[in-house]
Amino acid sequence: MPSVVEARSLSLSYNKEHTVIEKANFNIRKGEFIFITGPSGSGKSTLLKSLYGGIKPDAGLLKVGELELKNATTSKLQELRTHLGIVFQDYKLVNEWTVAKNVALPLMIAGYSMDLQQTQVHRLLKHVKLENYANRYPYELSGGEQQRVGVARALAKNPMMILADEPTGNLDDYSSNVVWDLLENACVQLQTTVVVVTHKIPMAFSLPYRHLILENKGVYEVH
Amino acid sequence: MKSIKNHLMFILPLVAILLGIQFFLIFERLTDAYEEKLKNSYTMLAVSDKELTTKDFQAINANIASSVKVERNEILKEISVGQKPEDVEEILNALPNFYNIKLSKYLDTDGIEKLKKQLMVSGKIKKVETFEGSYSSNYKLFKFIKFILNLFILFMGLVSLFLVIKQMEVWGYIHKERMQVMEIFGAPLMLRSGILFRVAFFDAIISTFIIAGIFLFFSYYGVNVGGIDIVEQNSNLLFLPFDGAILFFSALLMVIISVYSVVSSSKEKDI
Repeated sequence: MPSVVEARSLSLSYNKEHTVIEKANFNIRKGEFIFITGPSGSGKSTLLKSLYGGIKPDAGLLKVGELELKNATTSKLQELRTHLGIVFQDYKLVNEWTVAKNVALPLMIAGYSMDLQQTQVHRLLKHVKLENYANRYPYELSGGEQQRVGVARALAKNPMMILADEPTGNLDDYSSNVVWDLLENACVQLQTTVVVVTHKIPMAFSLPYRHLILENKGVYEVH
Repeated sequence: MKSIKNHLMFILPLVAILLGIQFFLIFERLTDAYEEKLKNSYTMLAVSDKELTTKDFQAINANIASSVKVERNEILKEISVGQKPEDVEEILNALPNFYNIKLSKYLDTDGIEKLKKQLMVSGKIKKVETFEGSYSSNYKLFKFIKFILNLFILFMGLVSLFLVIKQMEVWGYIHKERMQVMEIFGAPLMLRSGILFRVAFFDAIISTFIIAGIFLFFSYYGVNVGGIDIVEQNSNLLFLPFDGAILFFSALLMVIISVYSVVSSSKEKDI
């Protein structure tokens, strides 16, 4: 399988002061489901953020798709992000927009027609079992429902990779299972690469996927 | 209601800034009109033993527009009452040439003094009377009032600018979340700031219409400002068609700077 992410001697820091990853080497293959785990403050979220260009590498090589992120221009990063789906622990939905408009955001950015947006949004909301919530606002939904909207938004443009930062961090067990199912389905059925950052190490290890553990500024693969 | 309040919070300072710009434009035009009026009604008197033409005067100073010789017989009539004919003849022979001099542009006190000096050192002129006192006193008062008003406009502009900055903070608060989420999903700057631009552009149009409407009204129906001739006689100068464009582009510039500042400060680094 070709790599979607390639990191060589990668160093990352947050606030340009605290180095969290130093000279790390790893890759993420196309279509795989991978967990990134580690203790608090180990740099999990920083690493995930670097994968969509939110943080630029201090040193080394970080390639996502065909794009080398260290020297990528703003327009190249914008282009990359239209091929990614991102899921946040706190959902990051726009509260003044309806559920349908939130899900349609990546389609709107890609310039899809209104008709096509509506069709796609309907299909996606049906997929996450929220078809009757299209005209509601995020603040009218429970946490689990909001995260399903977040997943639907991430899936909207059939992305090459989904990046999920603690996607079940704020959810109860039932809602967590629904979200895991949605992410696993995306990987299995759509061959989408799914990268999940979680601090729930036992849960991550209960699932049969690759694991990268961040510890002492290094990135280690655990089989 | 909240939306109207948000619009007003930007429209009011914008109106104040545009009001300042319009006042500035009006005072510049009124100053020109006043200088023109002063220039047209002003004449200085030069006395010379020789016969001089306008070109002779212009060779001394280019700001001289014309010179008209005062008929010596007219002067003689005034001063020869009760004189013997031979004495009148003698007076006529001794009488120099008097010239009324008009200027091509308004000169301030220093300019008039300089002109007087140039005429005197030319060797052709014996005496110059500038009637400077009445010429400059009203103008100095006008200039002082204009200076005070410009200071007031500047102060008003600064206060309004602070209100605009305050409103930018409110915009930042309202629109930050949406713009950051859009940026994460790869939306270009124009798409991220589109809503904010539409809101601010609408406010700019409303503000321009308010100011243009007020001054167009005064320009059309005249204005009564307690007998200040220079304003009442030139009410057509209160709003010229080009002013609308100046106001709109000023408002637009404010909008672009404000929105761009808000968008720039809403980068995703906080996420």
